[in-house]
Amino acid sequence: MPFASGYFRTTYARDIRLVDTRTQVASLAVFVALLAAFPFFASAFLLDLANQFFLASIGAVALMLLTGYAGQVSLGHAGLLAAGAFTVGILVKEVNAPFWVTVPAAAAVGALLGVVFGLPSLRLRGLYLAVSTLALYFVVAYVGSEYETQRGFSTGIVVDPPAIGTFPVDDPRVWYFVLFAAAAATVVLCLNLLRARSGRAWRAIRDHETVAEALGINVPAYKLAAFVISSALTAVAGALFADYRGFVSVEAFSLFLSIQYVAMVIIGGMGSILGAVLGAAFVTLFPYAIEALIASLPTPERYANLVFAVNYAAFGLVMVLFLLFEPEGLVGIWRRVRDWFLLWPFRRRPLSGTK
Amino acid sequence: MQLAVNILVLASIYALIGCGYVLIYRTSRVLNLAHGELMMVAAYLLLTTASLFSGHPLTAFVASALLGLVVGVAVYVVLMRKMTGERVLAAVLATVALGILLRGIVVLIWSAQQQYPGQALGWPNPALELPGGGRISVAAATLVLTTAAVYASLFAFLRYTRWGIRMRAAGQNPLLAAQRGIRLHGVYALAWGLSTFTGGLAGRLIALDSGLEQTMVVIGLKALPAALVGGLDSLVGAIVGALIVAGAEVLLIHYVNPLLADVVPFLVLIAMLMVRPWGLFGTREELDRV
Amino acid sequence: MSGAPLLTLEQVEVTYHRVIIAVQGVTLKVERGQIVALLGTNGAGKTTTLRAISGFLGLDDARVTAGTVIYRGEHIENHPPHEITTRGIVLVPERDKVFPNLSVAENLVANVPRVAPGAAARRLVDVAYEFFPKLAELRDREAGYLSGGERQMLAIGAAIACGPELLLVDELSLGLAPLAVQDLARRLQEIRDRLGITILLVEQNAPVALGIADWGYIMENGRVVLDGDAARLGDHQDIREFYLGQSAGERRSYRQVKQYRRSRRWYG
Repeated sequence: MPFASGYFRTTYARDIRLVDTRTQVASLAVFVALLAAFPFFASAFLLDLANQFFLASIGAVALMLLTGYAGQVSLGHAGLLAAGAFTVGILVKEVNAPFWVTVPAAAAVGALLGVVFGLPSLRLRGLYLAVSTLALYFVVAYVGSEYETQRGFSTGIVVDPPAIGTFPVDDPRVWYFVLFAAAAATVVLCLNLLRARSGRAWRAIRDHETVAEALGINVPAYKLAAFVISSALTAVAGALFADYRGFVSVEAFSLFLSIQYVAMVIIGGMGSILGAVLGAAFVTLFPYAIEALIASLPTPERYANLVFAVNYAAFGLVMVLFLLFEPEGLVGIWRRVRDWFLLWPFRRRPLSGTK
Repeated sequence: MQLAVNILVLASIYALIGCGYVLIYRTSRVLNLAHGELMMVAAYLLLTTASLFSGHPLTAFVASALLGLVVGVAVYVVLMRKMTGERVLAAVLATVALGILLRGIVVLIWSAQQQYPGQALGWPNPALELPGGGRISVAAATLVLTTAAVYASLFAFLRYTRWGIRMRAAGQNPLLAAQRGIRLHGVYALAWGLSTFTGGLAGRLIALDSGLEQTMVVIGLKALPAALVGGLDSLVGAIVGALIVAGAEVLLIHYVNPLLADVVPFLVLIAMLMVRPWGLFGTREELDRV
Repeated sequence: MSGAPLLTLEQVEVTYHRVIIAVQGVTLKVERGQIVALLGTNGAGKTTTLRAISGFLGLDDARVTAGTVIYRGEHIENHPPHEITTRGIVLVPERDKVFPNLSVAENLVANVPRVAPGAAARRLVDVAYEFFPKLAELRDREAGYLSGGERQMLAIGAAIACGPELLLVDELSLGLAPLAVQDLARRLQEIRDRLGITILLVEQNAPVALGIADWGYIMENGRVVLDGDAARLGDHQDIREFYLGQSAGERRSYRQVKQYRRSRRWYG
């Protein structure tokens, strides 16, 4: 992290502070103020977009925790979202459970799935978790569709808007603050996890698992913890999604959704919370950008039924381009710019001071 | 008897697709998650060659098979080549991205409707009666025989030819292989070409048997557990894994619930991961690789 | 040894991850038919120098960012490893030097030799078996199950089977018993004498290296600080003290050691 001069880190607490310099505090305050003012100036469309962005960033940050730090790939993210959403749907339909029961229940379900599908991968490294999560997705999808057929909700479950006390949460502006709070809480939670012992353990595991084990880090426990926390957070995102949209169905949670979350992590840049958020913004806005692009062509009606295919192709292309040319994502670009300024007039850092 | 036939056919499908996963994984440690999409592209190419060579079905088939090989090599040269030297995770993510890209392109070029290459080739795909009372279509029977032939050739190739040994060496230690003069790009391109070639054969035969549409990708994904159950770097394992998964799937669909079709392979996979994660025939060292 | 040197490095600089310089301006040359030793402690940059010659694979995000590596009159810096091998330079690496799941016999053919495939290539494998008869006994054993000494023999044998002109050996003695090391060192000399292969040997074990070398280079912190005829190097006071462990008996203070690092006693 670049320092400003005059800030000396003389205690451990000072060293790991999230916001250190005066400039950082000031910028954070301005940023929060702008975000709080946003819903009062924005149109309904932009408001919905912002809400989608917050929802996506919860899932993206959760995935980043797993992928970028613990070094594991998850392809079943949509399954976890679906699990959270279905928990809400089932609880609301069967027992009419309130908001403050369904969301923690979703977290619990997510955590449980994390334990069940994470356990086999504990002894394994690398790609096996990816495959486990793929299995997770198919299993959840099956359970979801079985429920829908058994209970007759063939087109999906309609969920009434949740209520905090007697106050129904169905105004998009109210949702904005709810989702903003949820996203901010997720980010702060993950930042805290990362700057504590757990974060160091994950980094060690990611870099060299055998050495981490030799150093006394309980590797299986930490890997499982990463997966469980990530799953619980994602399930909560799914629950919020169900409450926000008011509708739950299996079709909404496709493999493509999983891949979109993976793309958020790739495009944003792995190993950084900022990356997850940037990636979430990019992927949320992308379909709308494509739509706008198509609409600006001379005869847009001709392409109307091809929109989803163009979406797929363009999305895949963008992912490929990022992987090829910007493997560190948007955050990598930022770091290169920052390095250039910091090191100037030098271009490189020497290995040791021998002169 | 019919159940046994079904199991055999499904196992052949999974095995033929699965050897593609094994080839690429064994050579370059990359899990090619776009294999299903590549298989689909190869099958759609049959439509194109069928109309190009209408009246000569065999030529059309062979032409599309060769095109499949070319597509595999091209995918390597254009995309995956740049991933050599990056972390394996990045390469796998690249295949995921490639898969999405291919899905979009397929619909843009050939439309999302169900197609029937068998009709395009003018070939009716008759059914054969088997002793014991089972029936099997000619396409399915060809598929079983093709799988056997492909596996026999691959075994011989990898064990006894210099190029086969080079491929195995590159899979174990790419840097050392390069230091012994082996052109890694050549070896990987070969692996990708062979993988798409065999996968394409599967795709085409499936399409000739039961039509062609986007959901073929799911079959490709279901073959992955088959390869994993056997051990992702073992060809023998792919056969055994395919038999196990196909057997479980057919039996459970028949006796329990048809909706289970897509889930069963993954349930078998989870069971295997808990018991013996590196698969039945996989090398245990695989665990330490990535 | 007349004629132009086989290999010349001129002010070579190697950078990792675009910002970390591991080798800063190394100049050395290797004459045909010599055994040249490259000595230094851990982290001196010796292995990086060898890899600058033999080519990186991009796995470490490393590049030669300045200077030249010239082999037989041609530039080879930043060329891929397989190309450099086919030109005639073969590296015996420090770690991961064999293919563990291939048998010994398969290890010896897992390459692209410089000769035409067929009889000439098989002849090279036979030469490897001649130099290391133990390998013939272990022909069908999986290389992962070999002992350290056997593995090193296999690694050198497999390198010979590529038909090289210049052999780069990284840490011959690492992890081996002293007798085994002496034996291998003798065989390197035989390889030079009977096959005419030039050898560049990177070693931390200075006595062994100086025992068989014709010329030596000492590296520290990414630079060559001393070079010379191996016999004279062995008599050099600094070398004897810091690399051969033969100080005059008196204890040196930290200050005096630091003094050494500041003064450079160059050979003319």
